Amino acid sequence: MSEELRVSPIETRGLAGKRRFAMVVDTRRCIGCMACQVACKAEYDTPLGVNRTWVPYKVAGKYPNVKKHFLPRLCNHCDDPPCVRNCPVEATFKVEDGGFVLQRYERCIGCRSCMAACPYNARFMLPSHRTYTPITNVVDKCTFCFHRVTQNLVPACVQTCIGRARVFGDINDPNSEVSYLVANNPTQVLRPEEGTKPHVFYIGADRNHTEFGRDAYRKIEVMELERAAFKNHFKI
Amino acid sequence: MGEYVWFHDVSWHATYAIYFFVIGILAGLSFLSYGSWRTPALRPLREKAAYGSFGLLIIGGLLLIADLSQPMRFLNILNPAYLHFTSPLAWGAVNIVAFGISSVLYILALQKGDEAKGKLLALVTALLALGLPVYTGYDLTVHQSRPLWNTPIMPVLFVALAIASGSAVGSLIAGANAEAQKVLREYMLWSAGAVAVILVSIMGTTNYGGAASELTFMIMTTGTMGLLFIGVGFLAGSVAPAVMLYAPIGKSQGVLMISALLILIGSAALRYVILMGPQQLQTLY
Ligand code: SF4
Ligand code: SF4
Repeated sequence: MSEELRVSPIETRGLAGKRRFAMVVDTRRCIGCMACQVACKAEYDTPLGVNRTWVPYKVAGKYPNVKKHFLPRLCNHCDDPPCVRNCPVEATFKVEDGGFVLQRYERCIGCRSCMAACPYNARFMLPSHRTYTPITNVVDKCTFCFHRVTQNLVPACVQTCIGRARVFGDINDPNSEVSYLVANNPTQVLRPEEGTKPHVFYIGADRNHTEFGRDAYRKIEVMELERAAFKNHFKI
Repeated sequence: MGEYVWFHDVSWHATYAIYFFVIGILAGLSFLSYGSWRTPALRPLREKAAYGSFGLLIIGGLLLIADLSQPMRFLNILNPAYLHFTSPLAWGAVNIVAFGISSVLYILALQKGDEAKGKLLALVTALLALGLPVYTGYDLTVHQSRPLWNTPIMPVLFVALAIASGSAVGSLIAGANAEAQKVLREYMLWSAGAVAVILVSIMGTTNYGGAASELTFMIMTTGTMGLLFIGVGFLAGSVAPAVMLYAPIGKSQGVLMISALLILIGSAALRYVILMGPQQLQTLY
């Protein structure tokens, strides 16, 4: 990437001498097994009802010609993250080397500004009880497995992905697999109009399936009922 | 993304809407208290408005702290080493603290009967009070991805709501004082009218936005939300009082009182829907 494309001092893509990690999700290879979601839950003791990564799907077409589209989701580790801008106490911050957007749990006051600011719903409030981990009642999200990546391992979801639909690496390194995939495939990012410069790239995600459709109108009541039942179940 | 259904919780719950409501009234009362130095008719409200706004500051502050999931860490937001001024919340914290200090000094000056200091502190307190609805509106405005919130008119709407609800409480306090009611009627009439006009403009732009904006418009104008927003907030809480106060009957004590109550109920409903409506959409993707 040319130097001129960088527009904000916080952005690290293309910054010489710095790593910039990114994930490519090849939706053509995703079979919706949710192994990534389970691996993430196991890695982080993420409580019921909240997820660092999740795999929503949509059924397209009419019987008998139907297809399930999976769209694995996680924090996009945006290059210009609104969650970082919105945090009043710098509990959310961006690591310059690697571009990880991380959380200082001990500093977070739980004002949930970052949750409101994230265009991708990537953040959630940790409930008061967790099985093994004492960190509760603060906002959490995907960390791109910072602790694993700094030990030269890939994130837990990438490690476990059966279809090799998730690929992780340094996009500033022209020899990495993510650089190759982004350079040689048409890729999409979610809600590019927000200007957040997400670093999760999708191959094969249809824009018709990643944006609000007008037909969502007629489903509000159904969704409200389902959401109420869900909240009731998890007492949130 | 509306169809990839997953369930997310809203970021801010109703406590925040109550906080908006309280902070609006306290700002309005501070304007009135300062106004009493310029408009003699408002003189009977000076002390009451100053004490009232300080009392509401305590309630608002406690609500804000209670709404944090780590309430005791509110001290972090007062720690200059942590403060991050790209966040409206950081400005809000500084504003609230400064307002609190200025209010106390103002009340002390009032108790001492120090006219010169009192007038100056009333002005400083009113300016800091203006910052409160501005920052709460700004707090929503900065969310680039949230339809309705991300409009520059949000702080203006919050200031108009503050004047309307503060004057309404002022009118309820002023009781039978005809001179004060005459001025407060004007304040309520024009601020309620301004709120109605702003609501029409934001409804229009939301409905004609992209799919996410349209969906937000649908959420805010149908079902219970619609009843609260259009019925209680817009029609009963803004248009009706503006019309009643404009009409010749608007000078009667009864109509003034009904209008004040309607404005208060309406502005509470509006805060709730403006906070929750766009977040309903947020839970769907
Ligand atoms: S996806 Fe959301 S939480 Fe992650 S960096 Fe971007 S704005 Fe922040
Ligand atoms: S909830 Fe925590 S991380 Fe999020 S904006 Fe507030 S203090 Fe920052």
